[in-house]
Amino acid sequence: MTCRDVTQLLKREGREGPAFADDSELALHLKSCRRCSEALKVVRLSSALLQSLREEVGGSGPTFYPRLRARLEDTEPGQPDINLLDALGLARRLIPALAMGVLLLAGVTLSISGSHSSLPVQVRSGTDVYAFSLEEVNLPGVVGEPSRDQMLAFVLTQSARPAPDTDPGCDVRGVTCEDRGSR
Amino acid sequence: MMDRREDQEPAERWREASEREADLIRQAQEGDRQAFEALLRLHEQHVFAIIGSFIRRKQDVEDLAQDIFLKAYLAIRRFRPGAPFAPWLRRITVNTCYDHLRKIRRRSEVTFTDLGESDRDVMHILIEKGYPSTGTGSGDQVAARDLAERILAGLTPKDRLVVTLREVHGLEITEIADALGCSRAAAKVRLWRARRAMQAWLQRLIRQEEETAHREGRGE
Repeated sequence: MTCRDVTQLLKREGREGPAFADDSELALHLKSCRRCSEALKVVRLSSALLQSLREEVGGSGPTFYPRLRARLEDTEPGQPDINLLDALGLARRLIPALAMGVLLLAGVTLSISGSHSSLPVQVRSGTDVYAFSLEEVNLPGVVGEPSRDQMLAFVLTQSARPAPDTDPGCDVRGVTCEDRGSR
Repeated sequence: MMDRREDQEPAERWREASEREADLIRQAQEGDRQAFEALLRLHEQHVFAIIGSFIRRKQDVEDLAQDIFLKAYLAIRRFRPGAPFAPWLRRITVNTCYDHLRKIRRRSEVTFTDLGESDRDVMHILIEKGYPSTGTGSGDQVAARDLAERILAGLTPKDRLVVTLREVHGLEITEIADALGCSRAAAKVRLWRARRAMQAWLQRLIRQEEETAHREGRGE
């Protein structure tokens, strides 16, 4: 007899009750195989414990129905049976759905804001450079994606130029920036 | 000819019983409390049996049964005429038992050292001889039931419910799924997990017993 045979017998015992006869071959196997012997004990203990729960339970006692009648008199059939506990239970069941909704909403918001996360770079010349990534930046004289050094050099060059707001011509000619803008 | 008449008699009785049940349901839906009570009396044994497999104290069993019957009374107008009443009542029973099991604190796993001398003896007898089938309410049976409750109290409420419905009440997977309000596949998976959890637990208990016996044998 092999372990596989014993496993089959154990399955049968689990389904239909005792399946083991006084089989010397089996007894020999169980004596030498600790694993099968343990598995047999587990099946036997499990089925015995469950069988103990099958014991007949007595029906209702003499006071059961009078007590129930008294409770039913205070109640109308069809009334909503939602008490506080039920309401709490319902709320508890809704928590995972709400949490999923919040996470989904947060994810969507992050993905939308993430795609426009770069700020416009304002250089002193008044030129606004909007860039969502370095790949989108086109610098004069640079073909393709600029390196960090090229970007830095470009920004510093722009910063070195006088800004239009500080143009001395404004004060000399007595014109405002709005005027200059209209020219 | 005789056989056919004998076959017809149970069928006839069944038809009469189902017609009577349908009448009682209709009257109960119209607010007839006596009819509702008669309806409950037809099914109370099954309800008490399910509750009794989770709770031992008679007073607690009756209290839970009261809650179940009250819930059924409140919902009877929503019951669809023509549908079978027993599964409907069973679903209410199972849900109420599940709520009860969730309320009572789940115990931690019982180890062999937690068991007293008498529990250890009972465990040994159950392994060697199986459940004592002779005599009702004998000392060994009561002790076996105590041990079963202690062990099952460590399972999750849903696992305990599924194992009990299947192994104690012999419900089919479809009936368990219906009672739990889940799919057949979900009920099957739950049952498999629950059985595995229970077996792993018992295996640990048996190993601890063997180790203890081994130590005692060596005189440690």
